[in-house]
Amino acid sequence: MEEYYLICEDSLEGIFTGIYDAYLKKKPHEQVHLCVGEEENYRLFAVYEECRPDETKAVKVARTIGRKLGTEAYMSICRALASPEADKAEAVYKTVVAGLSMQSSRGCGLHTVFAPARGQVMGNLKNPFVHRVFELARFTANEAHYHVEFLRFRELENGILYAPIGPKNNVITFIVPHFADRLPLENFVIHDTLREIYALHPAGGEWYLVSGGQESWNNGLTGDNATGDSLTDDRFNFSQEEKKYSELFTHFFHTIAIKERRNDQLQRNMLPLRYRKYMTEFQGK
Amino acid sequence: MAADFGRTELTVSESSRRVRSNVAQESAVSQDNIISYRNTILQNGTAPGGGIASHKDPMPLMRKLEILSDAAKYDVSCSSSGVERKGDGTGIGNTSKAGICHSFSADGRCISLLKILFTNECIFDCKYCINRRSNDVPRASFTPDEICELTIQFYRRNYIEGLFLSSGILGSPSDTMELIYEAVYKLRTVYRFQGYIHVKAIPGADPELVRRLGLLADRMSVNLELPTAEGLKTLAPNKHRKNILAPMRQIQQGITQNKNEIAVYRHAPSFVPAGQSTQMIIGATPESDYQIMMVAESLYQKFELKRVYYSAFVSVNEDKDLPALPGGPPLLREHRLYQADWLLRFYGFEAGELLSEAKPNFNVLLDPKADWALRHLEQFPVEINRADYRTILRVPGIGVKSAQRIIRARRSGNLNFEDLKKIGVTLKRALYFITCNGKMMYPTKVEEDYITRNLIGEKERLPFDRDGMTYRQLSLFDDDQEFLWKQAISS
Ligand code: SF4
Repeated sequence: MEEYYLICEDSLEGIFTGIYDAYLKKKPHEQVHLCVGEEENYRLFAVYEECRPDETKAVKVARTIGRKLGTEAYMSICRALASPEADKAEAVYKTVVAGLSMQSSRGCGLHTVFAPARGQVMGNLKNPFVHRVFELARFTANEAHYHVEFLRFRELENGILYAPIGPKNNVITFIVPHFADRLPLENFVIHDTLREIYALHPAGGEWYLVSGGQESWNNGLTGDNATGDSLTDDRFNFSQEEKKYSELFTHFFHTIAIKERRNDQLQRNMLPLRYRKYMTEFQGK
Repeated sequence: MAADFGRTELTVSESSRRVRSNVAQESAVSQDNIISYRNTILQNGTAPGGGIASHKDPMPLMRKLEILSDAAKYDVSCSSSGVERKGDGTGIGNTSKAGICHSFSADGRCISLLKILFTNECIFDCKYCINRRSNDVPRASFTPDEICELTIQFYRRNYIEGLFLSSGILGSPSDTMELIYEAVYKLRTVYRFQGYIHVKAIPGADPELVRRLGLLADRMSVNLELPTAEGLKTLAPNKHRKNILAPMRQIQQGITQNKNEIAVYRHAPSFVPAGQSTQMIIGATPESDYQIMMVAESLYQKFELKRVYYSAFVSVNEDKDLPALPGGPPLLREHRLYQADWLLRFYGFEAGELLSEAKPNFNVLLDPKADWALRHLEQFPVEINRADYRTILRVPGIGVKSAQRIIRARRSGNLNFEDLKKIGVTLKRALYFITCNGKMMYPTKVEEDYITRNLIGEKERLPFDRDGMTYRQLSLFDDDQEFLWKQAISS
């Protein structure tokens, strides 16, 4: 029995294209697998194929997922695909298969009366692939939420608000809409320092993403240091008010704690250490 | 500013690949419509419309913030939840129904709002309060402008979700509310702040002020302070239960009336859309957990409160009427009350099921739900594949989310223990109380003592074990607590 491995580009477009191509194979789905990037352990008797991202195919798959599996499943899938885990493509592919097959069994059996298959695939946590998508999506959603909470803007000399982040999952597109709605009249930049992606929001305008290396910022926003590792780096030119308000907040942060209730462990559970290097109130003197 | 940004953007797009364009590149809003939040900074102490400068020398803003946040920190109603509101594009801010925490202070509590007092001057003399008239502490007052500036500048940096404004009583309750109103009005109108605002209604203030403030605030709260009228009489001689309940009732009626108005006129201004809350101090007076839960339940039922907060008493003043708390604030007790409060609000329990005159206090070693289940073993085990939602919710080890997932997942077939684990059920706790397809996870005695021992051995994750407080300290302090109550009751 031949097994097929489709190697996809690690992006929404790449993996959706992979799903399209997997269906094109017209083989039993158990024999077709998706993976992203380099496959480490090549198997004997397996056929490996590169799968070039194709916008038309990807859009078709996205539409099908949205229409047949519902918005919730579509969002879960997008979140799962923001994960850095290598098995995400396979999990999403098999979840789509599971969702579409639930769809076709509609109208027979008892539960369709109470719960039409549409939009129900994510509830089927017994299925290991669905469970994996659920889990990956939850990691991304949690991390996105942490960023909504803990991301910090600093005001640069030219008035732009700048926030560096370093997320494990590619959360930027999940968080920018929140800030765009909240700060419509601000020029702001959110910078994913690991992926070198920038979300730019001009005051009164729509936000968009750009990617680029450090060179693209040479004369621009942040000087040539785009690693975000050190907020206190001299090459960031922060405004006068920035110093004043970051000090005021840091002071507030310390005063507001009740010393009789001090609890470092609880603080650590609620606010994981890895976020602190980007947070104003944890930048030591 | 916008021009600067345009230039930057050019530099960027020249040399980098556009990943996604969501774009209307030409700035949609004309320059005149843009409020700049950037250079609104006022110099310390020279704020226009300075209001009540109670000190001749202008006090630095840093010092004011220190005094007035330090004085506000004992108020525990920090949440920013209850209302979902998008920004309208003309100002700054929005709100999120679930609330958002922005940091966690060294005590592990969430920092969501800029929690400050307008002033810590006070004409009252509540015995438990650091700001009471008879205390010799540094006093300060903000100006409305200072409050607006701090809120906006903190908010745009994503430090906070909004403002929590309380106050000591300066002059009279109405005078104080007037000042709070001025600050909040300015923040909403001049600064067009659309984020979260929580204000205190000061008991005894003019109801008209409460009404007007309610149209600007998201949440209002009146603190019950102490669970019973007697407690209030001993520790807060200037306050009266009646005066506290009156604005609470007014706000409740305002909310109901407003809901009807909004049903008719969709754009009627909303009144306290995130609802009202209150807090009571736990452990300063001798009430039992049963009394406290009965009070909480009636606040939820009769006053339709969104939240009741419990604040473990922190001893800040020396006073013969206050208990000494050698073990520190009664944190475990506070925790148990919060757990029980959740059972009331989300798990369909009634206070009378959890406690009674005969058993007036929660078990130190077990959470209230496990404690209840152990006293009702006749209702267990429940069959996961058939029991209804409410029954499943009552199983120890199963929370609201897991219960919902169970109901959903079992539609695609019978669940087994492995599935439950994936769903997020804490099997170590639940296994004594459930069956899957008629079978228990493994043979176990269904017997109170046996299960109790196992559940206690299964170390509960308290929010303050390890370096917060050890179990030993906890049990010790609980003895102290009991001793204190007995003493208080007998005297
Ligand atoms: S009224 Fe009582 S509790 Fe409030 S600030 Fe004054 S002394 Fe403190």
